[in-house]
This record gives sequence, structure tokens and C-alpha cells, in this order.
Amino acid sequence: MARYILKRLLRSLLTLFIIITIVFSLLRLMPIEGYFQNYEKMSQTQIDLGLAELGLDQPLPIQLLNFYTDLLHGDLGVSNKYRRNVEVTQIIAEKIPISMTIGLISLGIALAVGLPLGILMARSTRTRYKIGDKLGTVFVVLIQAIPAAVYYLIIQFFGTSAFHMPLRANMNEPITLLLPILSLSLGNIAYYAMWLRRYMVDESNKDYVKLARAKGVSAGDISRKHVFRNAFVPLVQFIPTSVILTLMGSLYVESLYSIPGMGGLLVTVIQRQDNTVVQALVLFYAAISILGLLVGDILMALLDPRITLGKKEGGR
Amino acid sequence: MSVSRYKDRKTEELSASLEGHVSRDYQPEEYFQLAEYDPSAAELGSYSNYSYWGSTFRAFLRSPVAVFFLALLVLVLAFTFIEPLLPYAPEANTIYRGDTNLRPCAEYWFGTNSIGQDLWSQIWSGTRTSLLIGFAVACMEAVLGVIMGVLWGYVRKLDFLFTEIYNIFDNVPQTLVVIIISYILRPGVSTMIFAMCLTSWLQTARLVRNQVLIIRDRDYNLASRCLGTPTWRIMVKNLLPYLVSILTLRMALAVPAAIGNEVFITYIGLGVPLETPTLGNLIKAGQVVINEPTLNYQLFLPVLILSIVTVSFYIVGNSFADAADPKNHVK
Amino acid sequence: MDRETILSVHDLDVKFTLRGQTLHAIRGVSLDLYQGESLAIVGESGSGKSVFTKTFMGLTDANGYVDGGSILYNGMDLAKFTTEKEWRAIRGREIAMVMQDPMTSLNPLKTIGDQIEEAVVLHQGLKGEAAKKAVLETLAQVGIDDPERRYKQYPHEFSGGMRQRVVIAIAVACRPKILICDEPTTALDVTIQAQILELIKDLQKKYDLTTVYITHDLGVVANVADRIAVMYAGDIVEIGSCDEVFYDPRHPYTWALLSSLPQLGVKGQPLYSIAGTPPNLFHEVKGDAFAPRNPKALKIDFVERPPYFDVSPTHKARTWLLDPRAPKVEPPEHIKQLREQGVRLRVRH
Repeated sequence: MARYILKRLLRSLLTLFIIITIVFSLLRLMPIEGYFQNYEKMSQTQIDLGLAELGLDQPLPIQLLNFYTDLLHGDLGVSNKYRRNVEVTQIIAEKIPISMTIGLISLGIALAVGLPLGILMARSTRTRYKIGDKLGTVFVVLIQAIPAAVYYLIIQFFGTSAFHMPLRANMNEPITLLLPILSLSLGNIAYYAMWLRRYMVDESNKDYVKLARAKGVSAGDISRKHVFRNAFVPLVQFIPTSVILTLMGSLYVESLYSIPGMGGLLVTVIQRQDNTVVQALVLFYAAISILGLLVGDILMALLDPRITLGKKEGGR
Repeated sequence: MSVSRYKDRKTEELSASLEGHVSRDYQPEEYFQLAEYDPSAAELGSYSNYSYWGSTFRAFLRSPVAVFFLALLVLVLAFTFIEPLLPYAPEANTIYRGDTNLRPCAEYWFGTNSIGQDLWSQIWSGTRTSLLIGFAVACMEAVLGVIMGVLWGYVRKLDFLFTEIYNIFDNVPQTLVVIIISYILRPGVSTMIFAMCLTSWLQTARLVRNQVLIIRDRDYNLASRCLGTPTWRIMVKNLLPYLVSILTLRMALAVPAAIGNEVFITYIGLGVPLETPTLGNLIKAGQVVINEPTLNYQLFLPVLILSIVTVSFYIVGNSFADAADPKNHVK
Repeated sequence: MDRETILSVHDLDVKFTLRGQTLHAIRGVSLDLYQGESLAIVGESGSGKSVFTKTFMGLTDANGYVDGGSILYNGMDLAKFTTEKEWRAIRGREIAMVMQDPMTSLNPLKTIGDQIEEAVVLHQGLKGEAAKKAVLETLAQVGIDDPERRYKQYPHEFSGGMRQRVVIAIAVACRPKILICDEPTTALDVTIQAQILELIKDLQKKYDLTTVYITHDLGVVANVADRIAVMYAGDIVEIGSCDEVFYDPRHPYTWALLSSLPQLGVKGQPLYSIAGTPPNLFHEVKGDAFAPRNPKALKIDFVERPPYFDVSPTHKARTWLLDPRAPKVEPPEHIKQLREQGVRLRVRH
């Protein structure tokens, strides 16, 4: 087990290294006006001087090396436009707790609502009219088919017009966070409900469930002790995907409700073309995604005794 | 004779011939004589009129929801592309001075926006652009996915390389890729299509590769090859049905995903320039007036059309994939 | 032979609804199962042998239903059972089952110990340490070494044969009266098959079980069965003691089935196989279901379904050939020689 986790960890580090290198190299193509506060008024010599100061006149490998050296010292450069000459790490450090709080709460809600919904739908497939399953499916289909960017707006509209919720969230007033958290949870609720239902239906058709019935285990116990447990294990590997879903959703939601988090920040710095902050945030998000997959795989390995054999390693 | 809902003509003929064989007319006095043995009658029990496409369409048509959304989708798609050819067809960007912010009326069916453009034309033109992006992404994804997937599955030397590429890039969320590419390139329709295709084909390629491995290694294919079945026949009969199901689903879901991505990228300011109407641009413009009850039709009308398109694609894609999956033909 | 009947099936009809059509899987089957015997139900795939026994436990698939007839057990008619609660009094406690594929019939995420303990807790009323002790005993009984260690292991750490022993342990831990073994050795290596059959035989003696084997392997049958029921197209066409069916078969289908034994093959000649395919049970079968495949069919076989004719008090067959009016049709020559061949069959295992 320890060996598996170690191997998986090393792999993630390697992946992280490759991704950072590629993204960093790609980002050298960023428009150069994004490095300066008042690019329009600068003369060509001033621009060249500024670029040299940032080390951007060096060949790519040197730039990469410098970047990694700085990264290992916890230095991601300074902001040029968003908050001039403030360390990017400092800006991010201020924003992380806000985004984490909102993200984790919404993830918690998604699990607390999505899993029971999935169980309900799976149970309902065995009833005569399958009403629960049909209603649940309508919800899942709407949430999956309509782009998040669109239903977030619909939620904002109804929340503010029908329930008089404020348009701007305030971290000190929890009630104002209701709409953004609801928006972020919906996608994951649908996601968990859909996959849990599917896995539970799949599992309940398996031979071991027939054997459990044959030995006289009650339907409730089969559902709890066999089907749910076995269906939940593969679901664990989707938790990182849903972390990513939440992260990507937060870009939009935080900006919609003016929440001073990482997501809102990325949108702002893209609109204001602040290259160093964009670069740092993009790399940060990539790192989080890789970390998410790592955590998912480790959770799977802990829950599924078959994995330690090394058969399911690598590709997912 | 049991009643069957899906009896086609062939089954009818079969039943008739079966009846003929089984209930031969014998007189009671000859009952205990030996009957003639008819080897062809002995085989009749195994007769199957199964046809892959027939079963697929029957399975699809069995679901009224799927049929409804298919009809809706066909209607909306047809109209989207016919609309500019209609006789009145004003240019989407025409500005009607003085006619700003008019609510839907007889002249402007969907009203006008803040600078006096006809929303009806704007929305259909936007839907066209968004669908164009969606279709382009879906097709690129399918073509690249199939080519790469087949290479990945067939050429053993490439397997390691592809698997590593997949394992690395699968870690990066597509939204992030689209943001990066849109940020470093000039915004526009082609940038957007390029950004969305850049990594999404990997998923399709992986699914295709898995199916290719199956066709290579499954026992029934081996058996088929041993019996001298030509490769093309194995491809068409054993591989294609599985690919059809996977590819249609991937393609059908790529369209709403691309439309959603476009809306999102436009929102953060990296979208197609404003003079090209897209659903994203229209929604972004509508968002400004979300809380003005007299004007928010400018948001909800594009949202409505977008939702109809994405939901239809999603449902039709899923239903067709289910119907095309041979596993679902048994029940 | 006057034995106590433990389960009595009368005129059982089982149907399935499939794609809007009705499949008549079991067509009016009757069978008496005697206390302590071991009965083998043989027949080709799709003959309904598995469906038939699943009906005894209410385990037919959701689209299947009993459409008439009765299954009497202990004064109850199982065919009338509808609720989960009624069936739970039967499943495991009265009738237990060993399924065909040990690779899939155990829960991959639960330890072997847990899965056997579930049966022990349910049916032996034991808890905690006592339950664990019973599990360890059962494991030892089915021939698993080092039960203490094995108790904590997961199914994937066991070989196919070992897993089948675990499945048998689960069945036995329920302390049933009847044990149904659905193709218990089909998925196993030939070398393991005999061991598993031996184990079931031992346990049968030890716990006074009535066993029903479902199989298409006549070698298995010869080895374990007191009586044989031959099923074809959802019907028992011949039933009798092992010797009677092997050495004095009367139904043409039984002849054909026995002729398919590879042991009867003559060197240099192709192995015998039955021409044609079983009838499509979506269509109502008229007359004798085997008639179209039977080169020696009588005309009446296409018109009227034959009744059972008694050959001896323990042996009956559903074929018009046994009617006094029928012409004398001799079984194939090699079937007559089976008496000597049969001896070899038994020794082989």
C-alpha cells in the first residue's frame, strides 16, 4: 500500500513538472502589454528595458530555470496591474481561505444531498412507476445539459428577484453566501446522484447480490451493506473531478457575486491583463487538479482491497 | 401464438412457416406412424431476425421523450439555418435608430436591444455561430479521436507514448486549457474552436482505443477471424456498433459543452468580438439588465433558445447512445 | 422405494415478459423431490433447468413470474409467495444455493469471513465471537487451510476452486434442508471439479441435505446423482433413477443427449451432435417439443403433447413411443451398449 501511494505521488510530481513546464512555455506567448501598467505610453526602449528587468529577454530554458528557482523560494513574481508591486503569493494567500471555505461547504452539501438522491433514484428503479427515478433524472439532465454559466444566472435572477437575496456576497454575512454556494453545489449534486444511481443499478445486477439474496439477506441490508458500499467505492474517484468542477465553477460564481476569492481574481486579472498573476493562478489551478486526482486515487486504494495488487494502476 | 408488438414482416413469414411445419395435418388413424423428418424445420428454433440498425432505431423510437426532443432539435436546427434565407431576413447587426429596448412586439418578435438591434435576428445568428463552434469541435474531436484512437490501439509501439500523454493531459481541466489558449491568442471563433479541440480528443481517442483493443483480443473476434471472416466485416459488424454508441454520445455532448464554454469564456472577456453575435455575447449583454424587469427579456430569450438546443442535444445523444448499445437490444 | 417427499412441484408454469413478448420458460412441470436424495437435472442451455430451481427460492428475474401450478414445501405453496418477507423465511434457511461462477458470486469488497458470517448470523442466530468461531469451523469443514488467516482475506486472494469452497461454506452455514447446486463445477478446472463434487457429497451426508444438481455434464451426473431428470424446452421429458436413465433411456431426446457423450465416440468417426436447435419458446409449442429434431418422430408428436408413461414405479418418460399403439422404435445401438460403457463412466471420476 505504502509503495503504491509513493509511486503514485512520484508520478503526480512528474506530471506536475511537465504540466508546469508546458503551461509556462505557452504563457511566454502572452501579450506583452500585460506586463506593464501603462504600456500605451511607454517607448520601445522603456519596454525593452522592462522586459529585460523581468528576465523575459532570456532564452526560454533560462527563463524556465529562473522560474523554477524562484518557485522553490516561494516567489511567483509581483503583480503589475491588479495591485501594483504586491507579491503574487501574498495576493493568493489572502484569497485561498475564502475560496476554500466556499468550495468545501458546497462540496459537503453536494455529498449530503447528492448521495441520498442517488440512493433514492436507484431504489425507485425497482418500483412500479419509477417516479422518484424519473423526477431525479429530469433534475440531473437539466443540470448536466444546461451550461453552468447559464443556470448560475437563472439562480441569481430568481434568488435576487423572488427571494430578495443580495447581489453581492459578504463573507461576514453567511446568508449572502447562500446563492453562490447553492450554485456551486448543484452541478456536483447532479453528478453524484447520477453516478451513484448508475453504479447502484449496475451492482445490484451482479451475481454476488443474487447470492446474498439466495442466502436470505433482506433487501434493505443488501442495499446498505453490499450495493451502496460497492457503488460508493468507484464514486470516490470522482471526488477530485468534482473538486475541479467546483474550482472551475468558482471562477464564474465568485465573480458573479463579487466574492473576493481566487476565482473572481482570475477573471479580474484576465480582464485587466495582469500576466504574472494570470500565470501564477493558472499554474496553481493545474496543481490543484493534479493534487485532486492524486487524492482520489489514494482514497480508492484505501477503500478497494483489489487495487494494491497494482492491476488498476496508471490510466483511469 | 403470443402477441408481439414488434413483429415485422419477416417474423410473420417465419411464424407462418413454423406453424406449417409444426402442425402438419395428420388424420387420427395415421397418428402412430413415423413422420417425415425435415432437417430445415429442426433449425427453425434458432432463427433470429436480429438486425443491428433495426434494433437501434426501434429502441430509440420506443422512448417518447427521445422522439420529442429529436423532433424539437431537428426543427430548431433547420430553422436556425433556414432563417437567414427567409424573405424578410434583416441583417443581424442592423441598427434601427430610435427603436432601442423595445419589448417583443409584432415588428420585432423578440424585441430590440439597448442599441436598437433586432433580437430575433441576433439570436438566430448567435445560435448559428454557437452551433458552428459546437459542430466544429464535435467533428474535430470525432475525427482526431478515431484516428488517434485507432493508431493508439493498433500500433503497439505508440501505446506507451499515447498512454503517457493521456495520463498527463487528462489532469488539466478543459476550461483551464481554453482560458490559457484564449488568453495568449487573439479572440475569435477559430481560436475558440482550436482551444476546445486541443485536449478534448484525448477522451474520445481513449474510448476508441479501448474498443480497438477489444476487437483485437475478444474471443468472439478471434473466433470470427479463425472462421475466415475478413477484417472489414469484423470492423463493420463487431467494432462499429460499439463505436457508434460511443461516438454519437461524445459528439452529441460536445455540442452543448462547446456552447457552454463559449458563454463562459465570453463572460470572462476572452470571447468572440462583439460584432459577431454568439449566444455568449447575447447572454453577456443581457446580464447587464438582469434586474430590470422590463428589459430582462434580453437575457431570457437567448437563454431559452440556448437551453432548448443544449437539452435536446443531451437527451437525443444519450438516448441514441443507449439505443445503439447492443447490450440494450437483448431486453 | 417409499421415501418422504420434501418438495413437491405440480404443473408449474413460469413465463417471462421480454420486449412485449411472452416467453414460456417452464411448461407445466411436475416433480417430487425426496428427503435426502440427490437429484440431477440435465439438459442443454436454455432448457429452463436453472429457471426452474430459481423459482423454488423466488429468485427469478424481475420480468419472470409463476403463471400457474404449485410448489409445496412444508405445507406452504411457494408458488403463491409474493412478498420479500415470505421468501426470506425460505431463502438460505430452508433452501440454499451454490452458483455457477465463483469468480463473480462473492462480494469483492468484503472479506470472506464477513460474507460467511452474514449467513451464520442470519440463520444460526449466533453473534460476535460465537459467530466467528462458527465461521472458522465452516471454513475448515469445506477444506480451507489456515482459516484464521483466510477469514480476513478478500475474494481476489482466493483461487477459483477455493472461492467455490467459500460459496459452499456460505450455503452450508445457512443450515438449509435443500441445497441447489447450479452448475457448481462448470467454471472450474477439471482437476478441481472432482474435489468440489466430493466436498458437496460429504456435506450432504453430514448435514442430511437434499441436493439438486443442475448440470449439462453427464459425467457429473453419473458421479453424484441418485435420480436424473432430463429437461428439454422447459419440460421434464424423462425422469428415473440414475441407472434407469443411463441404461434404459426411453425418450428420444435422452437418447440423443447420451449419444453426445464424447466417451461414446468411435475412434475415427465424428462425434455425435443433435441436429437442429431447441424450439423458440416465444411461440407456443404444439405436440412434442423435440419432434422437429427427432428423425424417428411419430405423426402424433406434431399434433398432441405426450403424457407421462410409466416405465417402472420410479421411471417415467413423456413420449408417444411408450404408447401401446406406437410402432416399436429401438434406441440406437450404442445406447444399448451403455451398460458396459457406463461402468467406465463412473470409474473415470
